[in-house]
Amino acid sequence: MHAALLTLGFGIVTASILALSAVAFTLQYGVTNVANVSHGEILTIGAYAAYLVHQRTGSAPAAALAAALAGGLTALAMYSSVIGPFIHFGASPTVIFIATLGLSFVIQNVLVIIFGASNVAYNLDPGAPQQIGPFLLNPLDQQIVISAIAITVVLFFIISRTKFGKALRAVSQNRELARVTGINATRVAAATFFLAGLIAGYAGFVLAETVGSFTPYFGFGFFLITLTAAVAGGLGRAFGTMAGAVIVGIVLEVVPALPVPFVGGYISASYNLAIAFGILALVILFRPRGLFTNARRTVFE
Amino acid sequence: MSAYLVSVLTEGAIFGIMALGLNVIWGWSGDFDLAYYGYIAVGAYMTLVLTIGAPIAPAQYILGATLPYPLAVVIAVISAMAVALVVGSIALGHLRGIYFSIVTLGAVYVMYVFAGQFVPLFDGYNGLSGLFDPMGDWFGLDYFSYQYFLMGLCLVMFALVYFLMSRVSSSRFGMALRTLREDERAAAAFGRDIYRLKLKGYLLGAALGGFAGALFAAYLTAFNTSAWSPIEVIVLYSAVLVGGRGNIRGVALGVVIMGLIVNESTRFLPSLPGVGAFNTDHPQVLLAARGAIIGLVLVLFLRFRPQGLLPERRFVDRQPAQPATDVAPLTA
Repeated sequence: MHAALLTLGFGIVTASILALSAVAFTLQYGVTNVANVSHGEILTIGAYAAYLVHQRTGSAPAAALAAALAGGLTALAMYSSVIGPFIHFGASPTVIFIATLGLSFVIQNVLVIIFGASNVAYNLDPGAPQQIGPFLLNPLDQQIVISAIAITVVLFFIISRTKFGKALRAVSQNRELARVTGINATRVAAATFFLAGLIAGYAGFVLAETVGSFTPYFGFGFFLITLTAAVAGGLGRAFGTMAGAVIVGIVLEVVPALPVPFVGGYISASYNLAIAFGILALVILFRPRGLFTNARRTVFE
Repeated sequence: MSAYLVSVLTEGAIFGIMALGLNVIWGWSGDFDLAYYGYIAVGAYMTLVLTIGAPIAPAQYILGATLPYPLAVVIAVISAMAVALVVGSIALGHLRGIYFSIVTLGAVYVMYVFAGQFVPLFDGYNGLSGLFDPMGDWFGLDYFSYQYFLMGLCLVMFALVYFLMSRVSSSRFGMALRTLREDERAAAAFGRDIYRLKLKGYLLGAALGGFAGALFAAYLTAFNTSAWSPIEVIVLYSAVLVGGRGNIRGVALGVVIMGLIVNESTRFLPSLPGVGAFNTDHPQVLLAARGAIIGLVLVLFLRFRPQGLLPERRFVDRQPAQPATDVAPLTA
């Protein structure tokens, strides 16, 4: 029982990071109705920015700020250089999906040119684990969970209470109708990308901290898991996505710890990606609009 | 002929077969399939386990037979089709657009993770090796003449596949696949069985992928997870896109252009100022510059010339329905 709770604790940390990444992804999806496949690279750039600033200033808060800012600017650049023009030009969501995949390939390779492909070690002292309720979490983990909750609360406030949030919801629901009522959809989308980028950049920083190292390909791997969480929660639904992330995050930590006789004892954590995609396939096939909607509908573009 | 040219032509022919297979799935059927590299990998892995003989400890892998190469290739192609049947019958059911792409992306990463992690299958990350000069001893070829033989084999196979695809392109099947791409509901209204047609197209594409993988295995003599990464499929997509999606002459042109970019684009890079400012000592830089250029080409073509350099010929109705003129006015 104790071990199970420990695992659940780690699951909550993973879920927190995943929730940040997935909500950022789904916000972008909401305002544009296209999946930004280069989303993972926002996290990667956030991690590199954090690392560089941390090296120079030695301050973790400065690193976090740098990661968020770099992420925000990256996402804004993605929107204004590729996604926005493609939408304006009338490209289908699939074409934009392909274009952002190409963009992701470009960014990964440019990062390799600048920083090299080898692992960058980013080890912080996580501090001694403490007993928090039933879980054993070190101060770093606690910070991650608390910051994820804080960001969620702020985001909830922005989306539900501010004028910008109202515009964001309007554009997400119906871009054309929002336009008719005088909302500048392009600007709202750009601002949303910046906001999503801030969150994703920060997520890149905490992910790098938790994992302890990263490469130019680091964000892409996490994007694949992010996608699962976002689809499970319902693409474009910010809070459904958060719930999806919590479920996927916990499943990813708990399943490998289950004593299932498989390949010599336990399911190795390396199968994470396979497990995530197993969940993804099931969700898409049976609940394509997400776990928290009741309509079972076929997905036609 | 220099050894360099021989390897470029061999690679180009294999790459061409891969692109022609992808063209069936994306060019004609219109599905952005990200699992495609998985079928290439299945073809390569299966060819190896069927030809290199029983594993020597500590290596472990399935089968470990010593079949003649052509027979192994046939089985490898069937295996690739079998995997594609599983993925396709799930993904093509009622998923379209990005949902299809996401599921196939998932499928290929599952394959990749299993190939790398599940050691009893294909020896995990170590992968398989030891396919030396298949069919070479039948003709008594030494190492050097074998390279020419393999080049010739791959070129002949490419020509054969090209011819076959040009026949398929203008066949009823090829036309029907295109209707699905253009308007699935209209095709259904005309009595087409969408699911079966799409699945057939998908299997044909995967078969070509598996076949190219089998030749690839002979060329590389070995295969492991570092020889393929699912995202490499972008290179194939850019070849199909640049040349002209749906048009096999375009696809062949795209292969030549991307082949040139892959092999030649970075030749002059290290001497450029600026690039050297970073870590030129890093061998990865050249590969990365190549990748960045390919990705950029893909994005720019999608934006500015999505039909490619040699666009597919659009089929026009030569005898459009005329409004009837000699009909008596309808009177009650």
